[in-house]
Amino acid sequence: MQRRSFLIAAGAGALAAMTGTTAAAEWNPRRPLNIIVPYNAGGGVDLYARAVANAAESRLPVPVVVVNKPGAGGLTGAIEASKARPDGNTVLLTSSGSFLLGSMFKEAAVNPFESFQTVAQVGNLKGAIVVPAASPFQTLADLVEAAKGGNLKWGHNGRGGVFQVAGQTFLNNQDLEATDVPFKGGAKSRAAILGSQVDFGILGIQQSRGFEAELRVLAIFADERDPLFPDVPTAAEQGFNIPVISSPIILFAPNGVDAEIVTGMEAAMADIAAAPEFSETVEAKGTVSAYLAGADAKANLMAMGETAKPVIDALKAASN
Amino acid sequence: MEIFAGLATVLTSPALIGWVVLAAVVGMIVGAIPGLTASAAIAMLLPVTFYMDPLSALAFLYVIGKSGRYGGSIAAILFNTPGTAASAATQIDGYPLAQKGMSSKAMRVATVSSVIGDYIGEILLIIGVGVIAAIALMLGPPELFAIYFAAFVVIGSVIGKSVVKGLASAALGVLIKMIGTDPITADERFTFGSFDLLGGIGLVPLMIGIFVLAEVFSQLENKNAKTIQYDAPSSEEARARNRLSWAEYRPCVPHVIRSSFIGSFIGILPGLGSAIAAFVAYGEGKRRAKHPDEWGKGALEGIAAPEAANNAVSGPSMAPLLTLGIPGSTIGAILVGVFLIHGIQVGPTLFVTSKELVYSLFAAGLLGIACYGLIGYFGAAAVGRLIIKIPTRVLYPLVFLTAFVAAYASRGSLFDVWVMVTAGFTGWLMKKLDFNPAAFVISFVLAGGAEEAFRQSLLLSDNGLMIFVTRPVALGILLLGIGAVVFRIRSLRREAKQDEL
Repeated sequence: MQRRSFLIAAGAGALAAMTGTTAAAEWNPRRPLNIIVPYNAGGGVDLYARAVANAAESRLPVPVVVVNKPGAGGLTGAIEASKARPDGNTVLLTSSGSFLLGSMFKEAAVNPFESFQTVAQVGNLKGAIVVPAASPFQTLADLVEAAKGGNLKWGHNGRGGVFQVAGQTFLNNQDLEATDVPFKGGAKSRAAILGSQVDFGILGIQQSRGFEAELRVLAIFADERDPLFPDVPTAAEQGFNIPVISSPIILFAPNGVDAEIVTGMEAAMADIAAAPEFSETVEAKGTVSAYLAGADAKANLMAMGETAKPVIDALKAASN
Repeated sequence: MEIFAGLATVLTSPALIGWVVLAAVVGMIVGAIPGLTASAAIAMLLPVTFYMDPLSALAFLYVIGKSGRYGGSIAAILFNTPGTAASAATQIDGYPLAQKGMSSKAMRVATVSSVIGDYIGEILLIIGVGVIAAIALMLGPPELFAIYFAAFVVIGSVIGKSVVKGLASAALGVLIKMIGTDPITADERFTFGSFDLLGGIGLVPLMIGIFVLAEVFSQLENKNAKTIQYDAPSSEEARARNRLSWAEYRPCVPHVIRSSFIGSFIGILPGLGSAIAAFVAYGEGKRRAKHPDEWGKGALEGIAAPEAANNAVSGPSMAPLLTLGIPGSTIGAILVGVFLIHGIQVGPTLFVTSKELVYSLFAAGLLGIACYGLIGYFGAAAVGRLIIKIPTRVLYPLVFLTAFVAAYASRGSLFDVWVMVTAGFTGWLMKKLDFNPAAFVISFVLAGGAEEAFRQSLLLSDNGLMIFVTRPVALGILLLGIGAVVFRIRSLRREAKQDEL
């Protein structure tokens, strides 16, 4: 399988080189591009990486190899990528929200701004407030009203993760208190929500796909509606001005990689993110292509860090 | 019926059929090699399946599990060494038959019984799993914890000769599982500042160490021990003696059916496994046998009963795994990883997201049973001869090397290799000192989920531990677990008394 796709990629690459249609003039990779994914194969970030590899087959002169380095909540792979030789052959694709917030919760050896250069954003995992289908809450307002009165329980996919911070940001913003119950991963927290074990939960919006009969999505945390979930209103639409915490999928290059190579890679990612086969692959799992140039992606991420800082500080203070 | 769609998927895909047939052969050979179990084979072959599509990968490993459980009987009958712990009971009557020159007949009985047992288990699974999944959706953390608790209690009570050493092994498994990040607060535990320990100890390197490397060490120790093989001589008279007639097999049928149900029931309980099923079925069969005095001297029923039971475990042990995400066996624990690697989450929602895949997997299981049945019926003796011909000084070094490669390849981590080596020495010492490595691994597997469910329950509860009492289902399961222990203690006492008389 791998071998075959490698051969196809190499063949396509050779063809592209001959006809001179490489994506970037400044960046002429001669060796395969290794994208380190710090999570297991099969997860959300991995899916993006494979979609990049797939779309790159006809657009880059070299094959793109996805290398899964799971462990320590994404830190293992990030550290390895930061230590890679800065020749532009090894890069990191990760859920930058988890990466950033993780490094804010705990002193880590690497963080997105000091250890890496931001190449480009290719996607975005957005959070949503979800209740079981049998829940009395029909709108976000119902939920907020109920939360004022009693001690609601809510689920998310792990402390220190993007969706816990997104949920806590919502609660702090509305001056609410509720008990969080962490589950390991999106699928388990989804199971807890649809089994009515918790009153509500924060999930990646893509997790609600295929569960329309069992779950009700009250609101998506985003500036605008998601094209794949056009019926789900944003929180702002319902009159709740909640700062958006999401997890942009960003390609990082280790410090020390030539600026020219980074710019070339950025252009290639723009090309790849616009490719129909890229969108098809990610949309099949309920996520979308969302390209941003490196500088914009970095600015967005920094702004999100600022938004999350007071929330994280409060959470840290509470746990000590 | 989804299973027919699944069968159609499987039977129309030549590649998939190829994987299933290969799995049947590989499982049988590995199972028949003394000391190598199906779990070991699955742990070592796991990295290979990263490059396969999800269904082929799962079907391949699932069928290895089935045919490996069966393959153990070949070694038990021919060499008087159980190929896997699950076939230790088969040895009691199988080896005497081999000594009488009837090894082929014994293997045929084992094959037919394994196949029937496996089919009964698989069909019960296919019928029941949808219902269990629907119920599982309603179970929350308190109920899950109750199930984990019951599983721990049951393992604890069937741990073997020394209860203290068994419990110590299980406790060590729990302790090792605690290394890493706290599942609720994400704080570091027992990491000693080591970055590699942050993600915890990996199951695959641990299992390769315990089940493969430790076994190689043990074999190294006994390398001078000779195995004597009683093969059926190929004279005309011998062949006639080894033919299996319906008249001979008919008395086995009630034993096979009873054992299949015993095996299926034990399979559903998380934490138990084929070995326990086989011994329970053997004991029960002997108790009800018309001529119990013949058991142990080469009774065909004495082969049929444990073989049917140990294979009947295979199907139903998938039920808690698929519906609750609780792995019922070490094989199950690795299969969870395979599901995850291919982006499929096991648990109650699996039947919403990947129903076709699950039923295709069951269909592949049905096909796999037929494959190892056919190959085994006509070729088990040949497999046995093949294994005895491979010199151990070639086989075990190969296995030793493969263990290193597999431990590294599953995550591409050198640290995992060290885990594997450490686990290998630990496992070897544990076996030498009569501790229980299997209890160690299974409690390692169960501990993480149990802790998570317990602490989630406390977060969900408004009044602490009372949540386990106020939720009726959780209370019921907890009481069942306690009941099982009481029952077990009483039967142990009775046995002890009988021994005294």
